Amino acid sequence: MLRRRNLLTTLLIALPWALLLTLWHQYPTTHYLNLLRKETDENTTSKTLLNGTSALREEGFPSCTRQQQSIGATPKIIQNYVYSRPPPWSDTLPTIFVITPTYTRPVQKAELTRLANTFLHVQNLHWVVVEDSPRRTNLVSNLLEKAGLNFTHLNVETPKSLKLGLSWIPSHTPRGTLQRNLGLHWLRDSFSNTAPPEGVVYFADDDNTYSLELFEEMRYTRRVSVWPVAFVGGLRYESPKVSPAGKVVGWKTVFDPNRPFAIDMAGFAISIKLILEKPHASFKLEGVKGGYQETSLLKDLVTMDGLEPKAANCTKVLVWHTRTERPTLVNEGKRGFTDPRVEV
Amino acid sequence: MLRRRNLLTTLLIALPWALLLTLWHQYPTTHYLNLLRKETDENTTSKTLLNGTSALREEGFPSCTRQQQSIGATPKIIQNYVYSRPPPWSDTLPTIFVITPTYTRPVQKAELTRLANTFLHVQNLHWVVVEDSPRRTNLVSNLLEKAGLNFTHLNVETPKSLKLGLSWIPSHTPRGTLQRNLGLHWLRDSFSNTAPPEGVVYFADDDNTYSLELFEEMRYTRRVSVWPVAFVGGLRYESPKVSPAGKVVGWKTVFDPNRPFAIDMAGFAISIKLILEKPHASFKLEGVKGGYQETSLLKDLVTMDGLEPKAANCTKVSSTRNLKDTISLLSPGCFYSLLPYSSTFQCACLVLAHVSAK
Repeated sequence: MLRRRNLLTTLLIALPWALLLTLWHQYPTTHYLNLLRKETDENTTSKTLLNGTSALREEGFPSCTRQQQSIGATPKIIQNYVYSRPPPWSDTLPTIFVITPTYTRPVQKAELTRLANTFLHVQNLHWVVVEDSPRRTNLVSNLLEKAGLNFTHLNVETPKSLKLGLSWIPSHTPRGTLQRNLGLHWLRDSFSNTAPPEGVVYFADDDNTYSLELFEEMRYTRRVSVWPVAFVGGLRYESPKVSPAGKVVGWKTVFDPNRPFAIDMAGFAISIKLILEKPHASFKLEGVKGGYQETSLLKDLVTMDGLEPKAANCTKVLVWHTRTERPTLVNEGKRGFTDPRVEV
Repeated sequence: MLRRRNLLTTLLIALPWALLLTLWHQYPTTHYLNLLRKETDENTTSKTLLNGTSALREEGFPSCTRQQQSIGATPKIIQNYVYSRPPPWSDTLPTIFVITPTYTRPVQKAELTRLANTFLHVQNLHWVVVEDSPRRTNLVSNLLEKAGLNFTHLNVETPKSLKLGLSWIPSHTPRGTLQRNLGLHWLRDSFSNTAPPEGVVYFADDDNTYSLELFEEMRYTRRVSVWPVAFVGGLRYESPKVSPAGKVVGWKTVFDPNRPFAIDMAGFAISIKLILEKPHASFKLEGVKGGYQETSLLKDLVTMDGLEPKAANCTKVSSTRNLKDTISLLSPGCFYSLLPYSSTFQCACLVLAHVSAK
């Protein structure tokens, strides 16, 4: 009788503590304590909350575990909870490396901001931002620091000769090529000595729109996966042609459907393994006709029948090739009307 | 000795269970179970996960508590966790009602998608989407259902006469006005019989960019709060002029700075209390000059010295008005790209003069 009682008691004690430990492992303790504190500090105004620094992110690789910010007694931490909430890093989920080339122009901060707002929902995402710039700018550095994502910040300047020279039609100058290649190079460098994680590489331009579903579609790519992209090639969307058997057999495009890979940059993802298997595969700069930039990379990686169609056999549109119009700044005049120290 | 041991035992049992209960109250159980299941199902492919429906949101008002989706044994639920994560609703935090007028055009779904992606980070946000349409469209309905946000879906069609007639220059036609007014009307209706929650109303066009910080700035608005907006009025940003004492004393704009409220639609928020106190305040449709739409509402609500400057006394830019996204479809040309200012809903015309195909 006593033994049974002891057993029961031990069980009643051990079980909840075990559950608690599991939960705390999943959710950093800060969240729990934040919410507790929030319940008690109902009437605190938000003014002290506005300068909270972002926690839970770090730069560099390969270890991408989350560091917990020290918990102080101020309500600051609650704001972190609201501002930047990437989901906890999972050791089992494949990582999505998103390579984003970017360049300085008025809407850059806005574009990166809303991109970050989208990425903050995606688990195990590592954002590789490559600036087309001689130096890493403060604007991007600060944005990445504050965002809360796992990121890597690189830069490489496109020589002016490349910007203008390759083709007199600016639209055919492959933009962002050097930057994307640097992203690939960094990836190969990071895993030259260590076992690469499961994962994919995705090239995400900073002015497109991405649904959250897209990242889950690409996450389990074995070699190269493809899907439709809206607003490219002068169409509502371009899409791979998928046979009933689920294989890619062609391209539903109007513009040059006979390209080896008639697909937009936003329409495919490559597994990390494949990137590392083929260390010389990269985007070509020279002799690349308009619309062939993607082909210049993919032809060294995969053939058409090796492609994996996603998005319900390429029947759903999960990414939009949106573009942002240049804002008119005519009223700034020659001297500039607004304070240049205010960052936009 | 025995008594102490009993006490200790009771404590050791009660404490963790109490903690667990509190945690489970904060985090819907689905999350915990999802994560557990994920740990065990490492090698499950994602194909079965792709059709998960979204949980944790509901339509309607005033009760905005979260309903938990029933937990089945399928891995579907994990996908929900990844897709749609609004922060748990708090009973103490003021609510932010975001009124977004929208209309059908090719980029509508893209715009609403990335807007939703931003709003999903903001606690206690209720999205009021008002379509300029005779009927609520499936596109918007489905998007709202899947997003996971608390939302209200309304619609009112702008009569063609208003779309074209008020001014021969389309950019001066106040766009989205009827829709915003309907949003205000719904708000007043919803709280006609119940005590209104603490909160603010914000008019968010579907093609702007909003930082997360902005929503925390506006949340504790007492009457009307204001802040700078980028890319309006032909400037990098327009801003209220704030005195050292922290009062709004003017407007730093080039375009007509003498307007009573020389501020963009994205540059202010109004407390719900004030909206309900002044039930006749709404955006005027007729006789509204270009750039005066905001004034037509605000003049009935507040005076300049009653404004609350936010964003570090209006020195930080947290909301950006983006001109409309361009797409390389053939569209009728438009000639108004040189107009420096438009207080109206984004004019499709402004797009084409600067299209640069990539």
